Amino acid sequence: MKFGIEKCVAWYGNIRTTEDWQLWAKGDLNYSPEDDLPPLKQIPAMQRRRLSPFAKLSLHCILESLGDNASNIPCVFSSRHGDLHKTAKLIEDVATKNDLSPTHFGLSVHNAVAGLYSIFANNKQPMTAISAGEDSLMMAIVDAYAKLESQYLDKILVVYTDQIVPEQYSQYVSNEEQTLSVAFILTKYQPDTGIQLTFEKQTEHSDEKLTFQPLDFLRFFHGEYKEFDIQSKRYQWRISRRLF
Amino acid sequence: MNELITEVKQLIIETLELEDIEPADISDEEPLFIDGLGLDSIDALELGVAIKKAYNVKIDGDSEDSKKHFYSVKSLCQFIEQNK
Repeated sequence: MKFGIEKCVAWYGNIRTTEDWQLWAKGDLNYSPEDDLPPLKQIPAMQRRRLSPFAKLSLHCILESLGDNASNIPCVFSSRHGDLHKTAKLIEDVATKNDLSPTHFGLSVHNAVAGLYSIFANNKQPMTAISAGEDSLMMAIVDAYAKLESQYLDKILVVYTDQIVPEQYSQYVSNEEQTLSVAFILTKYQPDTGIQLTFEKQTEHSDEKLTFQPLDFLRFFHGEYKEFDIQSKRYQWRISRRLF
Repeated sequence: MNELITEVKQLIIETLELEDIEPADISDEEPLFIDGLGLDSIDALELGVAIKKAYNVKIDGDSEDSKKHFYSVKSLCQFIEQNK
């Protein structure tokens, strides 16, 4: 499949601007975790108070990526774990027989961020929220591409967010997973700037250490790679583009 | 009663994560919902849970009476006083 990517905005610790990402991809800027969150002053305080860190990271990337296009674009949201810190707290409350917070319960569904964004931006275009294990971002691209081509769209927003999982879950996931949010606009293919993506089923069961796909993707996007292979347990992905 | 009023205002601020609002900013008698403080139906549920937890007072979710109890900080405090 062939497509273009525009307005890629990603938040990963101290790496936040396009310049940061380009320096990072070259190896000239090192990642360091940061606890501060995007201020999102454009969102009214009464709406902002319900935003979890997960939602704040996502909405920052979405709104920065879309700029003036925020109210009229179909979207694909993706996350492997969703807002797991919120869900884990709810499960804990169930286990300890505490009353659940209705607000947290209502915002713990996988498409909660899509809903919050839709309300804030008054965007009534179709939106989906997907989860596909470690392939969540790449599958979001596949889903977005399918919608772009089958519905004759000019553009569609792709969003991916995950956080380092709560401690009680960390034994089940790879240490490579990080807190990261990324949003970009998938567009029709242009030969000069376009990207090609292929994938096939993983054939060999390799014990090779798996990487964190969203970071691989961003390394390819901001770096000077002609092509990049990403391995997961289920798929072999290859992203490539023309370089001049 | 005055003590309870301040306490309930504090509970509202903490439970509903009202950033930048002090107890003094909340009127005793103005409506909590829509026009006054601007709370919504999810806040009503959240506040119901918090009041049950703090004062062991259960507010029936659907009745006309609970709309009256939830009208303002003052009506809420009167209800808590009568039922705890």
